[in-house]
Amino acid sequence: MGVALPPSRCPRPSAPPLPLPPPPPPEALIAAAAAMASRLLRVGAALRFLPAATGRAAPVRSFAAPGDLATDEEQATGLERKVLEAMNKGLDPYSMFRPKRYAGTKEDPNLVPSITDKRIVGCVCEEDNSCVIWFWLHKGEAQRCPSCGSHYKLIPHELPH
Amino acid sequence: MAHQAHSYHMVDPSPWPIFGAATALLTTSGLIMWFHYNSLTLLTMGLLSMLLVMLQWWRDVVRESTFQGHHTPTVQKGLRYGMILFITSEAFFFLGFFWAFFHSSLAPTPELGGQWPPTGINPMNPLEVPLLNTAILLASGVTVTWAHHSITEGNRKQAIHALTLTIILGFYFTALQAMEYHEASFSIADSVYGSTFFVATGFHGLHVIIGSSFLSVCLLRLIKFHFTSNHHFGFEAAAWYWHFVDIIWLFLYMSMYWWGS
Repeated sequence: MGVALPPSRCPRPSAPPLPLPPPPPPEALIAAAAAMASRLLRVGAALRFLPAATGRAAPVRSFAAPGDLATDEEQATGLERKVLEAMNKGLDPYSMFRPKRYAGTKEDPNLVPSITDKRIVGCVCEEDNSCVIWFWLHKGEAQRCPSCGSHYKLIPHELPH
Repeated sequence: MAHQAHSYHMVDPSPWPIFGAATALLTTSGLIMWFHYNSLTLLTMGLLSMLLVMLQWWRDVVRESTFQGHHTPTVQKGLRYGMILFITSEAFFFLGFFWAFFHSSLAPTPELGGQWPPTGINPMNPLEVPLLNTAILLASGVTVTWAHHSITEGNRKQAIHALTLTIILGFYFTALQAMEYHEASFSIADSVYGSTFFVATGFHGLHVIIGSSFLSVCLLRLIKFHFTSNHHFGFEAAAWYWHFVDIIWLFLYMSMYWWGS
């Protein structure tokens, strides 16, 4: 049936709009245009540094001037936004990327994130093996693959919400 | 927001798929009623409901993506696969008609006078309007790419200009083709030449109209700030479709208009 829209975040005027002030003199208009142009240039310059900047220091920008397209940073919402913010921090709460490779030794076991107390692991002992070794990995001490002996340890993973 | 540990989109229950199936039934049986019993009622109902289902279904997709943020990179990847597979299926659709054309034209039967074009058929001059149409579609491919680059660079005004130009070129093509159809010296009933020519170019024209509609919706969304410089898959899908339409035309032009004349 119909999709429920989130509540609108657009500001709504609570009172009837005030009557417009008289138009400013031409010099003020030119000054305002120059101010806007310089602001656009500065914002444009800041934008160029954005990809180089680390995810942490996202500069607080005023709303993009009309004529510009929004960026994901400004306009993403919902799950897309959560994924974007996590990726910017180097996190992967939704398991979108390949699991990290570990040595698999006792000192450096494969870390297996799980939202519950146990998770199924499928070990491909050697590259290109077609026989995958499946077993339950439980919370607590690291377990070893029954075939190749590689170590696996369950680590708690916050349910993202 | 649902508590999920994955980045996929679990779609809310929706009536559009089953209504779409009902639409398909109405439309197909409507065609039969039209072909055999001279009645347009069922077909009209089918096409009308098709339009309503498409509008509402895709409106919901826009709501889910732009306004609710369900289209994570994972979801987008799936949509990309989907669009590519769909376009591939369309390519095979046209392949069938090209097969039919070459089957009949490479070995023309005695009934045709043993030649291609068949005796009595006056084919269109490929260097007149068809060549203009080729130039128009190629130019529209350039403008749609220009629009795409404008979007990725965040240049909204240029993107709007380029996309509008693309759509205008698409309409120009359609108008010229319609005129060509009207002025043609042969009809669909004129031997297998007419059949292959008008079925293939006719379906192509339908795809141009579909592609133009898709691009128009993208233009509307672009104006309403739906796209970001990074995330604008609706537009990319429309652009892919449009390039596909262009390529099909090139094959049509080279085989039917040029070689086949």
